[in-house]
Amino acid sequence: MCSLLRGEEMCLAQLFLQSGSAYDCISELGELGLVEFRDLNPSVNAFQRKYVNEIKKCEEMERILGYLLREIKKADISLPERDVNPVAPLPKHVMTIMEQLQRLEVELGEVTRNKEKLQKNLLELTEYTHMLRITRNFVQRTAEREPLQVQYEEFPFLEKDTVMDYSSMQRLGAKLGFISGLIHRVKIEAFERMLWRVCKGYTILSYAEIDEYLEDPDTGEPTKSVVFLISYWGDQIGQKVKKICDCYHCHLYPYPSSNEERNDVVEGLRTRIQDLHTVLHRTEDYLRQVLIKASESVYTWVVQVKKMKAIYYILNLCSFDVTNKCLIAEVWCPINDIPMLRRALEEGSRKSGATVPSFVNRIPTTDTPPTLIRTNKFTSGFQNIVDAYGVGTYREVNPAPFTIITFPFLFAVMFGDLGHGIIMAVFAFWMVLYENDRKLKNTRNEIWNTFFEGRYIILMMGLFSIYTGLIYNDCFSKSLNIFGSGWSVKAMYKDINDIRENRVLMLDPNVTGVFRGPYPLGIDPIWNLATNRLTFLNSYKMKMSVILGVIHMSFGVVLSTYNHLYFRKKYNLYLVFLPELLFLLCLFGYLVFMIFYKWLFFSAKNSRQAPSILIHFINMFLMQGDAVQPLYPGQTGLQVFLVVIAVFSVPVLLLGKPIYLYWLHNGSHHLRMYRGYERVRRNSEEEVYLMRAHDMEEGNSHSDLSSSGEHHTEEFDFADEFLHQAIHTIEFCLGCISNTASYLRLWALSLAHAQLSEVLWAMVMRIGLRMDTTLGVFFLVPVFGLFAVLTVSILLVMEGLSAFLHALRLHWVEFQNKFYSGTGVKFSPFSFSLLPSSFENDGLL
Amino acid sequence: MAVCQELSFNVDHGYLEGLVRGMKAGILTQTDYHNLSQCDTLEDMKLHLQSTDYGKLLSSSEEDLTVSLVDSKLKEILVTEFSCLRTNALPPLSTFLDYITYSYMIDNVVMLITGALKHRDVAELLPRCHPLGAFDQMAAVGIARTPSELYSAILVDTPLAQFFQDAVSESNLDEMEAEILRNKLYKAYLESFHSFCKNLGGATKDIMCPVLEFEADRRAFIITVNSFGTDLSGADRSTLYPSCGKLYPEGLQLLAKAEDHEQVKAVANCYPDFKVIFEDPESGSDCKTLEDRFFEQEVKMNTLAFLQQFHFGVFYSYIKLKEQESRNIIWIAECVTQRQKSKIHNYIPIFKGTN
Repeated sequence: MCSLLRGEEMCLAQLFLQSGSAYDCISELGELGLVEFRDLNPSVNAFQRKYVNEIKKCEEMERILGYLLREIKKADISLPERDVNPVAPLPKHVMTIMEQLQRLEVELGEVTRNKEKLQKNLLELTEYTHMLRITRNFVQRTAEREPLQVQYEEFPFLEKDTVMDYSSMQRLGAKLGFISGLIHRVKIEAFERMLWRVCKGYTILSYAEIDEYLEDPDTGEPTKSVVFLISYWGDQIGQKVKKICDCYHCHLYPYPSSNEERNDVVEGLRTRIQDLHTVLHRTEDYLRQVLIKASESVYTWVVQVKKMKAIYYILNLCSFDVTNKCLIAEVWCPINDIPMLRRALEEGSRKSGATVPSFVNRIPTTDTPPTLIRTNKFTSGFQNIVDAYGVGTYREVNPAPFTIITFPFLFAVMFGDLGHGIIMAVFAFWMVLYENDRKLKNTRNEIWNTFFEGRYIILMMGLFSIYTGLIYNDCFSKSLNIFGSGWSVKAMYKDINDIRENRVLMLDPNVTGVFRGPYPLGIDPIWNLATNRLTFLNSYKMKMSVILGVIHMSFGVVLSTYNHLYFRKKYNLYLVFLPELLFLLCLFGYLVFMIFYKWLFFSAKNSRQAPSILIHFINMFLMQGDAVQPLYPGQTGLQVFLVVIAVFSVPVLLLGKPIYLYWLHNGSHHLRMYRGYERVRRNSEEEVYLMRAHDMEEGNSHSDLSSSGEHHTEEFDFADEFLHQAIHTIEFCLGCISNTASYLRLWALSLAHAQLSEVLWAMVMRIGLRMDTTLGVFFLVPVFGLFAVLTVSILLVMEGLSAFLHALRLHWVEFQNKFYSGTGVKFSPFSFSLLPSSFENDGLL
Repeated sequence: MAVCQELSFNVDHGYLEGLVRGMKAGILTQTDYHNLSQCDTLEDMKLHLQSTDYGKLLSSSEEDLTVSLVDSKLKEILVTEFSCLRTNALPPLSTFLDYITYSYMIDNVVMLITGALKHRDVAELLPRCHPLGAFDQMAAVGIARTPSELYSAILVDTPLAQFFQDAVSESNLDEMEAEILRNKLYKAYLESFHSFCKNLGGATKDIMCPVLEFEADRRAFIITVNSFGTDLSGADRSTLYPSCGKLYPEGLQLLAKAEDHEQVKAVANCYPDFKVIFEDPESGSDCKTLEDRFFEQEVKMNTLAFLQQFHFGVFYSYIKLKEQESRNIIWIAECVTQRQKSKIHNYIPIFKGTN
């Protein structure tokens, strides 16, 4: 409990690790997660540190592992992500892992390269067959046309005299050439255009699309290709055409000159494709086997390499001693854990078989240690709420233990409904029951995780809502009449006609027999029927909010004494805490007092004379109580006294601490002045003696402080101190007023919740219930469904979130700023369990 | 153009502007450069670059680390980022981004022509082209023998066709002609880009026009300085000067008449922006080349683009800054591999204040 209230006591310790056993010791510490390491060579670059080569080796292994994982994923083999937790490998075993990995990489690389080569081959062969098949159609078509002499119709200047030109070309030695191949479909248009421009029409391009999709060897995406055949005249143009083909990344294949040749090639291709298919199949099988074998141990390797890398990172933080025989590490460690730390080091030395043991040495320090607050699964949620505001300063009072009760309570004040509370509690209870279920725990859904992490908070909130629901007597906006109402209509209206004729009946508690005493728990159910229910509840809830708020804030102020006493700042008790508490209680404490006074001293009989507290409170500030009837004798005098105290506590708060500190700081100087004073006026000797004694006392406490911190030479700056105190004063005094008003949100939200649930009942359920035929039964089913859905989505989730938010604000702003500074640093131990555990987070995939 | 572009800017381009501003945060800082320049080997540099936004860029490669590999990887990452921006862009931003690539296209075309003149294999030249300026017809550039053939056969389908109006000529392509072609294309390109930005109006105009004007003036100076000692006459030169800069028209006329470096300096003295650049290097501790000074000035102008919102200038500036960063990394890498530690600090830092 003490640890939860203040956080763990920490110390700075030096670890002397023998260079032989350092690795094992750190590994042992990593498994336990006891200590936080400090960087002892902050000025050294990352690549100039001692163990850079080892880290590079780890990175190399990670690279290979990433490659392996990618290949395994590509092959669609499931990774066995088991709950094994292998320890970091010994340095001597690293080499074997490295070798295994490298062998695997080489093997995989070869096989995949082979596979890719085969696939490329296969693709080329299929492309070739496609080309041959399609170009045959071109040739056949042109062959059919040839007798008609329209072959060169597209050629403008060959048109005139085709035969002559053809023969003259032949005479010039120009040969008809063919280039055929495949090109991406998207590029064919640009290709055709450029061909036309460059060759000025000395070519014929015919093309046709392939029906199937072929896989692009570069990207692996299926793409549509087009088979083309270019016929051209002459070598010069042939050269150009080839260049253009290169430019558009065409796949060119030799064009068979005769039909027989074509048939031969097609035959040859068919057998080669079949052979390739079998070879490819075998290769794939082999690859799969290799990958399956690798996938069995890849998880262990990933964890081991990660741990190893972490260890070397830590070793890089250590410094070497003069003899170079041992490493020195500085760690923050909880004092209670030092025996465990010793044991871990012994274990590490034993494992590595070192002759000289590694040991721990506590060193004094002036640095502020990090804050460690140990939590369990119940308290961690509440601690997170506090930490989200700010991690506590070292050994400061931690608001979390109080938050465990106040947070769900303030939430429930705003969420007071028995039915909704039960649903919420049951939901949370289900999560708590199945908290060890792996499916619930390891989900990736962030929203779900948020709820799951806060399951104990939700459970508490639900339970408290049940309680406040009982007090408000609200269950889905209806009241429960468990004990029987204390009010009776019978006593008021004996005549049955009165009841029949009047729409509204008034019950006067002054008439005997109408009010038979208060309802045993919470609010009387008869209020649910009353027309002035809202007026009654508003007055009740508003007063309740103010009372709760003032109590909550005063509690916060009281908690600050723990800090003042613990940090040996006794003067804060008189100069900060006391004026703060007086200010708060004299003004708002008195308001609470008046509320209680009114409740206790005015009953139904003299309710007509009951005064307005608001008027009295305003008059108190204006100091004029003559106009209204006093609540009790001597009220005016007391009120003036309280206001004066409150007003006087402000300058004390504003000036007290800075002036005292100033005086304390220049104490020696003042003492000399007292002596001079002494010489002149000897009769004040006693006074000076007292002052000196006081100084001594302060000095003692001061030296106490400085013994824990070696040199405490913080410069005292009066202006700085004064400014801080002025800000604090203004914040506190104005804050008291605005914070009290802020607690009225308890009233507002509870009102909103109650009204919303009532509206839902009136607009949905009541309509369904009004139908009293047999049809109504069937009608009620969808109506209830709608009611249930709206209840859960709006009233539970939305309203719940809003109430949560407001409860959060009341804790962070109104409660915690009274005592909690939250400027600490969280203790983050070196622990393997904090390393990311899934593959995707590693960046390996 | 709408009167209040700021109101509707985010509808189409807000996401991309946010993206590019996020990417800008990944530009290496002074401390990164400091750490990089302390490296002894490329392996060290790789280790350090891992802690920056480049991340695992270099670590995934199995081959040996060389400067050219680093260079190609850096280009690769730039192209990936750019194509991400380009594919998500809507007009007129998409046109704007296309304009950025045209300058790289021009460089690629000229490089391929000169390569073809030296009878280099196209397959050997293609990997050396800047990937930002890649286009389909690139490999066929070597076929052309004259600029008009180049235009009518190959480039007419590319976006570069619009810049060819002045550049078409029947003279045979030689090295000099290729260089003149480059400058003519650049002139047309810059003027077109300038008028495009001007038409866009708003903050884009305010940011981009000065940057492009500076670019135009820089080209004018560089052309003049490079033409000394060649047979390019003053009149020929003046046809190459882009006319959208601040030097137009008086400064350009003076530059056309300039005969030596001193006269160029005299011209620059009339303009405060360029006076700084042409000042004698004694003022600085180490002598920087004219090119470096221009680069420095360009970086300064580009960083200013990020001060304003709702304009396209950030895209241009980001690409240019990233390019400068690649140049810096390559410079450091070269210095590291050649053990020239004394020159390692000659890189041009970007965002000096952000360390």
